[in-house]
Amino acid sequence: MVITQKGAILAAEEGTEKAILNFIKQALSQGCFDAVLIPARVPTGDSFAYFLAQNEAFLEGASPLSPIMPVQGARVISSLARRGKGKKRIAAIMRPCEVRATIELAKLGQVELENMILITVDCPGVIPLSDYFEDPTKGDEVFKDASQNWNSKPMRPVCRICDKFSASGGEDLHVGTLGTNSGNILLIPHGSKGEDILNKLGIPLEEDISGWEAKVKKLTEERKKERKQANDALREDIEGIDRLVETFSACINCHNCMRVCPICYCQQCNFDSDNMKFTFEDYITRAKARGRLMIPTDTLLFHIGRMLHMSLSCVSCGMCEDACPMAIPVAQIFTVVGDKNQEAFDYVPGRTIDELLPLTTFEEQEFLEVEQSYAGVSAKQEDQDD
Amino acid sequence: MTKALRIDKSSEEGLKELLKFLLENGKVKGVLTLRKMGEYGAISYSLITNPDDIDSTLPLFPLMPVNLGKQLSRLTLMEPATDPIAVVLRPCELRAFVELVKRNQGSLDNFLFIGSTCGGVYPLEMAVAGDIEGQLAQYWEAVEQGELIPDVRPACKACTYFVPYNSDITISLLGNKEIDKQSVLFLNTEKAEGFVEGIPGHYSEEEPDSATMEQIRKEREAEKQKLSDEVETKTLGIDDLTKTFSRCIECHNCSKVCPICYCHLCFFDSKDSEHGSDYYETELDKKGCVSMLSDTTFYHLVRLFHISTSCVGCGQCADVCPANIPLWAISLKMGEAVQRAFDYLPGKDIEEGLPLATFTPEEFAEIE
Repeated sequence: MVITQKGAILAAEEGTEKAILNFIKQALSQGCFDAVLIPARVPTGDSFAYFLAQNEAFLEGASPLSPIMPVQGARVISSLARRGKGKKRIAAIMRPCEVRATIELAKLGQVELENMILITVDCPGVIPLSDYFEDPTKGDEVFKDASQNWNSKPMRPVCRICDKFSASGGEDLHVGTLGTNSGNILLIPHGSKGEDILNKLGIPLEEDISGWEAKVKKLTEERKKERKQANDALREDIEGIDRLVETFSACINCHNCMRVCPICYCQQCNFDSDNMKFTFEDYITRAKARGRLMIPTDTLLFHIGRMLHMSLSCVSCGMCEDACPMAIPVAQIFTVVGDKNQEAFDYVPGRTIDELLPLTTFEEQEFLEVEQSYAGVSAKQEDQDD
Repeated sequence: MTKALRIDKSSEEGLKELLKFLLENGKVKGVLTLRKMGEYGAISYSLITNPDDIDSTLPLFPLMPVNLGKQLSRLTLMEPATDPIAVVLRPCELRAFVELVKRNQGSLDNFLFIGSTCGGVYPLEMAVAGDIEGQLAQYWEAVEQGELIPDVRPACKACTYFVPYNSDITISLLGNKEIDKQSVLFLNTEKAEGFVEGIPGHYSEEEPDSATMEQIRKEREAEKQKLSDEVETKTLGIDDLTKTFSRCIECHNCSKVCPICYCHLCFFDSKDSEHGSDYYETELDKKGCVSMLSDTTFYHLVRLFHISTSCVGCGQCADVCPANIPLWAISLKMGEAVQRAFDYLPGKDIEEGLPLATFTPEEFAEIE
């Protein structure tokens, strides 16, 4: 959490968003980067999208903290630089979970970050898409009120229990806003990309950030507690194969959770592939084995397969849940599982780019307790067999 | 005159009796219908082989979790059904399946199709909220009276093809005043007569109530006009379409649930649609700024272009759209216009060739 000892302070008399935009504009005009990737309202006004802009005037209308997350930023940045870096140096202004997912995608070889500068802002959360699209004007107001007061109630369920809403370490530059409503924002660089911008703009790195850090720490601790409570409560509802089957029985097999997920990057998912095409004989045989077969088939297998593939890198952004037509609490379930898996490997997705993916890292002395208990089980089994 | 079978039970119970009879007597090896999945579970389609499981089915429950036409295609894509299977489905699901079969995406062989005069289904979000059960009394009352049902999918309110095509058996529901007392099953094919042979009930020769159907059709037609005037996409002009699709998040879920979109790899999910930095940077230099959701309208136009001859108006696309885009209205308007131009009704006649696969030398002379 503690990234540097000092930060830079910028005046924000006209509000946080304006201050961030002014800083970005200044950096763009000074050639700190060539273009900016940033959310902005779509022309019709009732939604937001990421825009790539090099035109300063465009930035006037951008929204570094948009009320919704229609697309996860990591997907956007990956579509921009999946096949390698471009010629331009791009500053991406994203939410912390978007940057964490971006870092994971970089580790997975799905985005080249050399020409990217990742900038995050303390994140109050986002409103669920369905709530927002019901009445966008009202959604704007609700978000404005809630974000100013750090009231997480109207936000996505996973935003309410997010304990990584601030700098995580993977970003190049973080904008601290929590508790700085008094008219300032803090710029906290992490590494040379961020520092270079401040140097170039002649912004001194002299501000003591311990006050902000203390506030972030306090909220983080609160959220950790709430997260644990929420996870424990949900675990009771979903634990055991019967409850798991029932929870996912509403699944209509559309795979939209997978398609909006920033971590699910396979160009063709196994579950959309020929591997999942069966003969009629297969289907009827399966039905006969139990007397019945849910159609579409293999929905639970899909979720468990997806979970196995991405839970170590899951950043709990909540896209999957927002995109699920059946309102299955996918993101909350994946948070329960992700937290546990990540804890087992002492891994925080997106924490730093240098940290290797757990499943690609072999450690001889790892999970001895599992080996031992397995050894115990097989010894017992052998006894019985005798 | 059509042969009819009357069973002295409510429409749903009579149907369940028939399904059980078919399974128990080995006339079919499986039944495909809606069923509640466990105590806390959802209502989903199941392929049932055990006659005892028929008790937990809800064959007439007004919900379409998936368009069954698409699922039937999945089941029979590699080979036709190897055993006779009874399928309870809605008119638009059967029409969609017929369209898929015309595209070599499945086979009609070995299926006994049981349709009904359809009152429509509730939106998925009502199932999610658990709001359907409380509405059922009102639903069946309206079905009995042949009235428009409040709160069903807009696509259903606007549907004028509520009498099934190609069903072997049609259950009379709309305007049937004895829905609670008698199950009235029209046996449309000889095949159907063979399957039901031996089940206790009264047989008669009856005329389906075409006057009532015509009346309902007129009401639905009027409702269609009204609803399509209400949506923001009044015309199919580029301004309206751009406006409507500006909320699109490019998840492509409309195509994934669409029973007509059958491509295994959609062009828009393929490498051909992945732009990369070159494209974006070139656009950026031209325009100064570029949306990263750049292909939304293009995607929807191409999808409409691909499906419009066969769109059956089931409304599944609108139900799954995370951005609440009234896709049903756009597909319906586009579909109707295109289908009218080709004098083609999707799913009506299995023998009729697909318009774009049929060359008629004297066609569209006015355009030439």
